[in-house]
Amino acid sequence: MKTDARIWLLFAGLALMHLLLHVGFGIGRAAPDLLTVALLLGAREVGMGRAAGMGLLFGLLEDALSVLSFGANSAAMTIVAVLGAVTRDLFVGDSLFFLVSYFLIGKWVRDLVYWFMVGETLRQPFVDQVLIQGLIGGMYAAIVGVVLLAVTGLRQEAPA
Amino acid sequence: MPAYGPEPETNGGRRPGMLAITFLLLALSISYLPDVAQQRIAWTLRVSILRPFLATQERILAARMNAQNVEQLMGQIDSMTAVLSTQAALFDENSTLRKLLDLAERAGPSFLPTTVLRGGTAGSESMFLVRVGAAQGIYEGAPVVTWRGLVGVILEVQKEISRGMDWTHPDFKVSAMLQDGTMFGIVDNRRRAFREVDRLVLNGTPFNEDALPGTPVLTSGLGATYPRGIPVGVIDEVEATQGQWGKSYWLRPMVEPGEVTHVLVARRGAGGDVGALWLADSVQVGEARTQLGRRP
Repeated sequence: MKTDARIWLLFAGLALMHLLLHVGFGIGRAAPDLLTVALLLGAREVGMGRAAGMGLLFGLLEDALSVLSFGANSAAMTIVAVLGAVTRDLFVGDSLFFLVSYFLIGKWVRDLVYWFMVGETLRQPFVDQVLIQGLIGGMYAAIVGVVLLAVTGLRQEAPA
Repeated sequence: MPAYGPEPETNGGRRPGMLAITFLLLALSISYLPDVAQQRIAWTLRVSILRPFLATQERILAARMNAQNVEQLMGQIDSMTAVLSTQAALFDENSTLRKLLDLAERAGPSFLPTTVLRGGTAGSESMFLVRVGAAQGIYEGAPVVTWRGLVGVILEVQKEISRGMDWTHPDFKVSAMLQDGTMFGIVDNRRRAFREVDRLVLNGTPFNEDALPGTPVLTSGLGATYPRGIPVGVIDEVEATQGQWGKSYWLRPMVEPGEVTHVLVARRGAGGDVGALWLADSVQVGEARTQLGRRP
């Protein structure tokens, strides 16, 4: 199977798994944010425009389940997708350090933007929601993302 | 991730950037859409892409609710069973006590009501203690009875407590007769492998006379240990014949010692014939037990 096909397969699988775990099984934070992992993974494989479109779609899917903060997830995911696509032009290779940083910062930025967009009435304290929960979620996403890339054989070390 | 390659969307130069900006603006503007539009978008997604996932959640929730309902129902059934079983025991004990009270009322001061205590240790299976003693007029050899009939006899008397044996003890013997007084003999027990199947046997009865099954057997009063007329059991069937001169019969006991909790103990001067005390209930019950009692 070609690498591109595997990437897209993983991308779709992660999105489905995220919806199954979070929506279907209602697991909540115990399950990782696979949608963001999938988006970060896909954003580096397609152009900025398509990445933004995917981010908007993913954000809308999450917004469809939130009554009071419709649009916050859409904005957060679209921005993360665009930034993820931009990193393609800024960083070359996929060293372990880069991948961990990429997934961790990507997930953290998603939570940060969401915190800004969600509005004061629903917003939790910055330290709690962004610094603590955001970083924990970022580390969780980084571990899951790196493990998935390693398991699927999609990670290729960049030449030194 | 695959190694760095050329930008996929190179056609049109600025096109990817414009597309991204468009999506970005769209995403940022969604928050400011009217509520109706937001709800319409959300509803469309919920009934299309998200539908299978929401349906999965519904099914899981329903399964959890069903599991909780089953647990609740099981809990209710257990509670009801516990209550009913307790009530059944209470009802049974209440009935037994009422009948014992009736018997005590009929017997007057010649019998003392008391509670049976069992040691529960090895070797004490056929022994029991009663919380009455010499101070209450209890004597060695005093019969211990219930509303059904004879339980056993007091062996050792102290001031406030006495020790007795029930009819399953190997040393138990009582002179007995048929209710109509036509046949006399000695009742003792036959131990079996299990205490639940210990039996009473009426020995030494004449060979040429037959005792019909279901006939009540009472104490005869001979030997002056037991007053006359306490029900012991009912005739079940012939156990054995001794040559051409005697027969023995299996008896169905009137009292199962294991289920006895409250008894009456005879005091000195209880009287020579107490048969009238049991005619109202025990003998009738004894006849009914002929259908239900144990067999050898």
